[in-house]
Amino acid sequence: MARKMTALIAGAGAAALVLSACSGGSGSGTAGGGSSSGAAKVTSIKLVAAEYSKDHTAAFWKQFADKYKAKTGITLDVQVVSWDSIDQQSSTMIQNNNAPDLLNLNVYASYAKDKLLYSADEVLAPAIKADVLDAFVKSGTYQGKMYGMPDLSSARALFYNKDLFTKAGIANPPKTWDEFEADAKKIQALGSGNIGYAMPLGPEESQGEFSIWTFNNGGDWKTAGKWSINSPKNVDTLTFLKKLSVTDKVTQNNPGKTNRAQAFDLFKSGKAGMVVGFSPLAGALDADKKVNYAVAPMPTKEAGGTPQTFGVTDYLMSFKKPGNQAAVKAFYDLYYQKDQVNQFIKAEGFLPVTKSGLEIFASDPKLKVYLATLPNIHLTPTDDPTWDKVKLAVQQNIGAGVSANGDPQAVLTALQKAAENGG
Amino acid sequence: MPVPATAPRRRRRSRGGDTPIGVALLWLGPALLLILGVVVFPAYELVKAAFSRYSITGLRLGDAGTTNFKNVLDHPDLITVLTNTVIWVVVVVALTVLVSLALAQFLAKDFFGRKVVRWAIIVPWAASLVITAKLFTLIYDYYYGTLNMILQTLHITSGPIDFLGDDRWTMPSMIMVGIFVSVPFTAYVFVAGLNAIPGDVYEAAKIDGARPWQTYWRITLPLLRPALVVASVLNIIYVFNSFPIIYTLNDRNPGYLHDTTITFMYKLAFKSAEKDVGMSAAAGIFNVILILIVIAIYLRTLKWQEQED
Repeated sequence: MARKMTALIAGAGAAALVLSACSGGSGSGTAGGGSSSGAAKVTSIKLVAAEYSKDHTAAFWKQFADKYKAKTGITLDVQVVSWDSIDQQSSTMIQNNNAPDLLNLNVYASYAKDKLLYSADEVLAPAIKADVLDAFVKSGTYQGKMYGMPDLSSARALFYNKDLFTKAGIANPPKTWDEFEADAKKIQALGSGNIGYAMPLGPEESQGEFSIWTFNNGGDWKTAGKWSINSPKNVDTLTFLKKLSVTDKVTQNNPGKTNRAQAFDLFKSGKAGMVVGFSPLAGALDADKKVNYAVAPMPTKEAGGTPQTFGVTDYLMSFKKPGNQAAVKAFYDLYYQKDQVNQFIKAEGFLPVTKSGLEIFASDPKLKVYLATLPNIHLTPTDDPTWDKVKLAVQQNIGAGVSANGDPQAVLTALQKAAENGG
Repeated sequence: MPVPATAPRRRRRSRGGDTPIGVALLWLGPALLLILGVVVFPAYELVKAAFSRYSITGLRLGDAGTTNFKNVLDHPDLITVLTNTVIWVVVVVALTVLVSLALAQFLAKDFFGRKVVRWAIIVPWAASLVITAKLFTLIYDYYYGTLNMILQTLHITSGPIDFLGDDRWTMPSMIMVGIFVSVPFTAYVFVAGLNAIPGDVYEAAKIDGARPWQTYWRITLPLLRPALVVASVLNIIYVFNSFPIIYTLNDRNPGYLHDTTITFMYKLAFKSAEKDVGMSAAAGIFNVILILIVIAIYLRTLKWQEQED
């Protein structure tokens, strides 16, 4: 009898565990915009914001909500969510018909495709849209309408350890891939655990690492509106990255299974000669004061090429819900005021998204290397909903191309097929 | 329980028939609500999701029929994932039980500092699984990991081992952590079981001249059987459902090479190129069925053995 009881409890427990694992968060929606039934004007709206940093994100949105309330009389509920769980939480909210009014995420096109979003025509003042940098208007535009309003941007550049460069007898950062390879070899040859180049091609953000390399070889994810993932240039790029890892052995162990955070840690510990970084890494290095580093444009495949800057922008998208249009418009009006958007970007250590912001940040010598290239920044095809899936496939698979038995051509061709089939 | 003298008679006469249904519901209400909210509603939602078609944003697009189930069964990595799950559950539970049996023998003895040792063993159980798993990523690290440092200092290995990145080492490394966090609970169940065995049985064995090993094999283990059953059933469920260890230790590895059905289900919904809530829900239903079948088989086998005895 006791045993039967145990089994019963155990069985029920198992079911409950699995079930709750699946529907996690279904009860968590406290519906900030719950009062928006009917066409009546809302009295509160909800923002789900991504946590860029523990210190600044919540603090910024708190002061923002206070100002917003003072200006409009509408309460802004802010829920700050970590990047680890924001995909899951946003998906759960949509599933439960409990979308927030505003969502801060690194994708938007799938939401636009599902017709969930307001377009800029509906909620963004023309003057603001005109102020947004053209590259970001373009990346935020899906089928002729802008849905992805950029909240901030970042650009990648080559970080190098000046002390290791001096020790290895290298005078200047590499300008071409050949120089890069030679420099990496020299640093690796220093021994005592030093690594030429920390290459993160693990699932966290391998699409970024691959993008910056292939953009500087004239490759791209899409060419003239068509997927070109297995183009000769891209295959050439991945083959070069594999060579660095497998033949030259100038990268850390297992680059296909190293996430960005781990590669940054190697550079921060002073062991890695070079890494592709962005301004928040610079902030962390400046705070540590441990590594004597400098930032340079990415080397290009061919000598004399123009370095391409790979950029990323995140989005503040707004969901169509009855009665919230004016409140959402007021949100954007306030967010894109110079003292708000740029205060946020500055605190988080990122780059501006507006022309007026570019002028404000121009005085900062540390950002010079990024700002010059920002207007011509090279982004991933975030305006294509298929990319939202392709990106995940790339993250999960491209690392296999740089393993000892990896086949760059086969890996990229599989991704190309997946993209052509809609992700 | 002090009950008025007349009460038992009245209750016996009526056999519970005269309690108004409203009153019964009032008493059962909180428990029923809890079951409805925590078990029935999520189960209903899960089944509904498994038969729905979702956009990658999470928007429900319509009915999917059985497509989601077919997609799970046709998934190219399903065999890998199932094999991983079997290895993970069997090895972790078996080794946990073995280690715990030994540990319980030790903990049941009276020795100086036993209290401290008992507390120390509880710690991995009390700590959050995510934190434990994160801690182990540091211990296992290729460049700064303490484990590699110890192995190299003692000249057991010549170079560092990539415990979490090398495909040969990933599963064994995760299994070690799985055992580490399962042992405390299991050992305590066994300690309780050992304490419940009456001393006179051992006395009788001694008088009959049983050797220590015989005593253990013929007396301790059979009498520990209820504890063994409880510990293995609960461990099978815990280990099968264990998400944080595998998810955290395996987060650097692309694809599904080291995933079990639980992390597979999560990745299907949120991380993989499928990013399909419906397919993940279908996988979730397979998970429930799978664990119920495993437990049923396990208990049935025990029953047969009991009858043979």
